[in-house]
Amino acid sequence: MPFWFARGLRRGVVTTRYPARPDGSAEFLPTPPAFRPLQLTRQTADRLVAVCPSRALRRQDDVLIFDVGACTACGRCAEAAPDAITPSGEFELAATARSALVKKIPIRGETP
Amino acid sequence: MNAGPDGARPGIGTGPVSQDLADQDTAEVARQLRDKIAAQFGRSLHIRTLDTGSCAVCEQEIRLLSAPHYDLHRLGFFFTPAPRHADLLLVTGPMVRAFDRAARKTYQAMPGPKVVVATGACALGGVYPADPFVHGNVGEILPVDVWIPGCPPSPLALLQGLGVAVGRLAEKTPDLTFIAGPDVPGGAE
Repeated sequence: MPFWFARGLRRGVVTTRYPARPDGSAEFLPTPPAFRPLQLTRQTADRLVAVCPSRALRRQDDVLIFDVGACTACGRCAEAAPDAITPSGEFELAATARSALVKKIPIRGETP
Repeated sequence: MNAGPDGARPGIGTGPVSQDLADQDTAEVARQLRDKIAAQFGRSLHIRTLDTGSCAVCEQEIRLLSAPHYDLHRLGFFFTPAPRHADLLLVTGPMVRAFDRAARKTYQAMPGPKVVVATGACALGGVYPADPFVHGNVGEILPVDVWIPGCPPSPLALLQGLGVAVGRLAEKTPDLTFIAGPDVPGGAE
């Protein structure tokens, strides 16, 4: 606080940059899933689409379309297919284009 | 400001700017104006929150921003109860149809330049589909400049979103693939 005060007097600016330092709570936040394409089959993908409560997932042939904006990070997909999904750890997701939040995940798993 | 590379910004001024006009005749002026606005907004920005039918958890996270741990004010952001004093509209909720008029009036009451930030999965169209009661997406009524995903977005995510909204932080979402594990040929598209 004394440092900020002195700096504010000197520079006439009393604000700081973000982040001033890494936040310790960040690792505990629920985050949207990240997918392992090699573990994803069409069947797994369809199961994930069915289990997603917020319609963030849909499948188009061999591409799983993931709408990060719709995802509520509930973790139901990770529960349904733990080998194909890990938490992404990303939570700073603000975007100026809605389309930037829609991701295409290739489905590369072997269909049995 | 969060102006795109084309210099035209939806949600600010009177409407979309013609690409040719923006590029050839007014690009330099537009750049200067944008820098000036960024300099003015950069250190002091007033936020009006607008709840369009949210479950109030987004509001809880927004409220946490002014707690000592996050201390929003050190970054030069302030909350204001009046849209006429606000530079930024922080919208939560799925935009219930009964709120159309109030949302439009709030937006119109704000002085320009103004920024609209849609906050949370409801506002982004994730939770409620459009039906006779809700639009299901804030973009249906207001010209949204920045989208902040999350259910709810954590205060850290909100801070980053506000930073993106005033051009202080670069957005990194377009580069994220949400593909984990070893590199897949042709994986990241």
